[in-house]
Amino acid sequence: MNVELQINNSTAPGARYVSWAPSPCRIRVTNPAGATGTTATIRLTSVSAASAGAVSFRRGTTGAFATSLSLTVPVNGASVPFFVAGRFGRPSINDGDVTIEARFGTALVGSVRVMVRIRKNANALTPGERDRFVAAFARLNNQGAGRFVDFRDMHTQVSSPQAHGAPGFLPWHRAYLLDLERELQAIDRSVALPYWRFDQASPNIFTRDFMGVSDALGTVQFSSGNPLQFWRTDGVAGINRRPFFPTNTAPPGLLTEAQTLALGSLFRQFETMEGNPHGSAHTSFGGSISSVPTAAKDPLFFLLHANVDRLWAKWQRQLGRFDPTVAASYDNSSTRVGHRLADTMWPWNGVTGGTRPPTAPGGTLAAGTNASAPGPSPRVADCLDFQGSILPLSRMGFDYDDVPFA
Amino acid sequence: MRNASSTSTAPDGGGSVPGPPAAARSEEAFAARVDALAGDPGRRGELAALLREDHPAYDQLGTATTVRMRGWVLLALARGELSDSALIFVLEELDTGTDAYLVAAAARALRSYRAPGPELAPFLARALEHVRFRDEPVCFDGYGEYAVSGAGTSPVRELLATLAWLGPHARGVRAELEAMCPTGAFSRKQRAEWTRTLDAIGGAGEDEPAEDACCALPEGIGRTVWRALDPRRVREPPWEVAFQDHAGAPVTFRELFEGKPTVVVFFYTRCDNPLKCSLTVTKLARVQALLEERGLADAVNTAAITYDPAFDLPERLRGYGEARGVRLDGRNRMLRAVDGIGTLRAHFDLGVNFTGSLVNRHRVEAYVLDARGRVAALFERLHWDEHEVVERVAEVLEEPREPAAPPVRLAAAGSGGRRAASTVPGALAAVALALFPKCPMCWAAYLSMLGIAGLEPLTHASWVLAVLAAALVVNLGSVWLRGRATGSMAAFYVVGIGAIALAASRLVPAWADASWVGIALTTGGTLLSTFGFGRRRGAAPGAWRRRAHDRAASPEASAAPA
Amino acid sequence: MTPKKKAAREPAAEAKPARKRTGKQSMTLAKSAKASVEDRVAAIAELPREVCGSDANLEAVLALLSDASQPLDVRLAALQALQAASFSVVAFEPCRGAYTATLRKVATDPDPELRQRVLGILMREKDGFAQKKLLDGLRDPKKALLPPEKALQLLSYDVHSDAYPVAREIVADPPNPTARREALRLLAADADSAPLFAKVLRDKDELAENRQIAAAALQSLRPEALQEHAREIVFDASEYPEIQATSLTALTQFGDAEAVLGDDALMKRVDTMSGGASIKVKQSAKRFLNKYGA
Repeated sequence: MNVELQINNSTAPGARYVSWAPSPCRIRVTNPAGATGTTATIRLTSVSAASAGAVSFRRGTTGAFATSLSLTVPVNGASVPFFVAGRFGRPSINDGDVTIEARFGTALVGSVRVMVRIRKNANALTPGERDRFVAAFARLNNQGAGRFVDFRDMHTQVSSPQAHGAPGFLPWHRAYLLDLERELQAIDRSVALPYWRFDQASPNIFTRDFMGVSDALGTVQFSSGNPLQFWRTDGVAGINRRPFFPTNTAPPGLLTEAQTLALGSLFRQFETMEGNPHGSAHTSFGGSISSVPTAAKDPLFFLLHANVDRLWAKWQRQLGRFDPTVAASYDNSSTRVGHRLADTMWPWNGVTGGTRPPTAPGGTLAAGTNASAPGPSPRVADCLDFQGSILPLSRMGFDYDDVPFA
Repeated sequence: MRNASSTSTAPDGGGSVPGPPAAARSEEAFAARVDALAGDPGRRGELAALLREDHPAYDQLGTATTVRMRGWVLLALARGELSDSALIFVLEELDTGTDAYLVAAAARALRSYRAPGPELAPFLARALEHVRFRDEPVCFDGYGEYAVSGAGTSPVRELLATLAWLGPHARGVRAELEAMCPTGAFSRKQRAEWTRTLDAIGGAGEDEPAEDACCALPEGIGRTVWRALDPRRVREPPWEVAFQDHAGAPVTFRELFEGKPTVVVFFYTRCDNPLKCSLTVTKLARVQALLEERGLADAVNTAAITYDPAFDLPERLRGYGEARGVRLDGRNRMLRAVDGIGTLRAHFDLGVNFTGSLVNRHRVEAYVLDARGRVAALFERLHWDEHEVVERVAEVLEEPREPAAPPVRLAAAGSGGRRAASTVPGALAAVALALFPKCPMCWAAYLSMLGIAGLEPLTHASWVLAVLAAALVVNLGSVWLRGRATGSMAAFYVVGIGAIALAASRLVPAWADASWVGIALTTGGTLLSTFGFGRRRGAAPGAWRRRAHDRAASPEASAAPA
Repeated sequence: MTPKKKAAREPAAEAKPARKRTGKQSMTLAKSAKASVEDRVAAIAELPREVCGSDANLEAVLALLSDASQPLDVRLAALQALQAASFSVVAFEPCRGAYTATLRKVATDPDPELRQRVLGILMREKDGFAQKKLLDGLRDPKKALLPPEKALQLLSYDVHSDAYPVAREIVADPPNPTARREALRLLAADADSAPLFAKVLRDKDELAENRQIAAAALQSLRPEALQEHAREIVFDASEYPEIQATSLTALTQFGDAEAVLGDDALMKRVDTMSGGASIKVKQSAKRFLNKYGA
């Protein structure tokens, strides 16, 4: 007997990535040899090293997850759905380090290698994870000629009203990061965007092998093996970043995570984090990252904003703020286009002129290979339920290492 | 051919030597010159020419320097009456400018135009939308001064003042202004300025003042400016200029632009004004889409040429185009001139200048080239409308081809009559050659047939045969030239075979009947060359005329370089 | 690990605000000459949303920034609060003009740290005033507001800043090695400087970091040339390990895969290097072999 396992309802290699939120899967018998009767009982388990990722299973959209699952599968080839989720606290370290096995009796009848791909604390990445991330990022930049230029061009003075100073700040940046992450994954599927936990010391980030070490002038130095040494934006080589704090400590004056999460239970209270800690984190440095028109020139910008998004995700999880129809989940009182729940967001909507910038770089939002949300031209409302807690189809395919699904 | 700058050493018009500008071109000298021109009523008209980007005064100077210089010219214009020839530069700054100093100076200069009018309002509203979140204080007291206090003026203030000057003429943009008006508890001072402007404009619902015909904008200035060029002034294209396209493939000017009309835009990837190059290339993608919609995509090429070929290597070109949705293939290319921009700069009179090989300032410019690679239209300075560009290309497609031989005026006919007339000599020569008497007996037969026995002196007039043969060769040559122009050599082949048949019929007695074939093919081929198949005959394009502002601002009209 | 409890779906009672003070209280404390510098700095850190909330707030914070008699840390904190507020571009609209004017004033402040920070902010906005000041300072050291290496670094924010001529002069005759390095980095955007970078890359007497800048510059300006140079460097046994590692990285990241895979000699050479003595070279060689599947 043989079975086919579809992860995220697909056999494509790009779909074999799961996170804490359950991924819809299917199993079907492709070769019924050895079966007696019209159905077969297939048992699903997973195998992985202790340091690698781990997954759990459940039959439907509710109920507890378990380390194994038995399914009754018709032998005529009709598929049966089930769900796989990464086991919270057990993210993968390498691509495909978890094997899902299907057994008919004791016989192995099918298997697929998956990765529990999770956004992690950048300070805690393994050397392999770190190197793959910077290599993909440098490749995306491609010494100024790569697709990164679109991401740089999305975050300028001209486009700033689309993304700052109003409630859409958080959803816009969530879509922005996801777009970038998916482009990185098109280069290396094992890459997830790490976050800079700016309220904690992160000495492993500010090293020559990672985000670089700044000299007294603020020029960032990289090791000779770090491809970020070829980083170029606006036609100019290099990164200017001068920390105003010792990088083996956290920048002072920022709200801690606990303080940020305690800003309030309503979105309009929580969004004040745009000033502190978000703005304060930006201005803890001299250099590109400290000014709106140049912030996206520094790759650290994306790690900073990954943490901003993580804080929002954690606030959402703690208070159950995923449903856009619940007033506390979002402040829909803005009159600015692009900041209301029903508005599509520039640049992915391709709308230019008038209150929108004159051009819309980068086209639509990159398609995910393990999730279909939020779609090529997301609305603000589409960016709240990133785990699919309210509507499973809203799942965006990413998760943070310390924000569970349930 | 425009001369390259005196400090330029490289053939591409860039790559200059470093070092401070020559004394004669220092900023102080420039400012003094501007002041002198502004103070001389007889020479004020020369100020507009100083705003051309390619003016030698800006050669090898940095962008910030050119901003100071241009701003000073705009402020000089503001002190007198703003002429029609200078108006386009002011509107350009409002339409696509992002520098606070220049936008503020342009807004101020506009108030010295001879009369406010509603056509000016959209420019001001657009400029406000561009600069309102980048407002900064500017100082107009002296040349090159920067404001260190917030008390003076700013681009927003100047734009609001100019909108107030427009008064009721700005009612068409009142709704936009109301939407932009700052709200919130803090911005009392700003809101007061906006309120004053809105009060000056007047209430919504009131009638707009009647447009005074004497004060309408000069012809051609509107959302788009283009000019049809006088064909007598059109330069022969630089056929041998070598390019490299977005895929790294080599291609020449001739291979790119001969045979089909082309829409050409200029840009460079390091342009930091999103309202110029980025928008231009984005719009080129829309032009491609419109051409596709109209079924013209196979008949018209598009090209985007970089001002910065040294830096904009093929991979950069491709990335820039793809990021803006440009279709890239053999008929739609992004290009860099392999030997530098100098030849193209001279040929197109590009509105650009450089410091080294880096652009310091350029205008928005889009060209329509005809099938012979010559400039048929230029859309300059103000942002062009994609539909208008496509309309112009469609007109170029419909324009009559140039006649193969000088036209024979048989009647006071339109273009169709002239074209028909031009086929007559060729056809007649073919017929005459075929029927030319081969012997005295034939002469006798013809003469008796025609009853012209009195023409004995024509017997054995072999020179007439030679003349007819020469006429046939001339016809052949003319059809060949015409074929090159239209890109179709079918007619030439037909006429060629006909000529061979006629020659054979004269030289080989056994093939005498071939003369009829020769006549038919020669005549038919000549007609085919003239009229073609499926070609619509249209009227000649609109009158060839130069706009007033072009005449004033052309290089010929400018003062001698400093 | 024990999974966390499922979060409550009902809105919780309004959580206690993170800050202990109101905005008004923070502003009062920030301005107070009697309070300690630490307390004032902490109060100012709470202000980004209030800075552009009223005329009075804005004037107060701008005054703190521009007043040379205030403690430096208080002035720097005021600057940081203004910068953080400026990220909300639309909300900051009424404040931008006065903010820019104050920055220009402080650009000539006696304190070098303040000058450096505000000139950095202005240069990132491509401010013509700041550009002129920095260029004047490079041409005439008596007018310099910043050390030449910092001025060059800030001028490199704007590729149109007209700094190439003076940068070339500094490369030829540098006041100090760091200035030369920054001049080279600035010139990496200058297409006409490709020959200079080829020379620097192959000059073994050049500092390693300058040669690395040259490699990056050449990769951008003349990628085929850099690939050729990188290959030659890899084969040059007398070359420094850092430069060989950089060359291997360039070949790994940007090399033409088909050409590299077809280059047996290169593949063999890198294979040998992967077992060599230098850790940097070994790591880079292994990444190269990883990519090209050896």
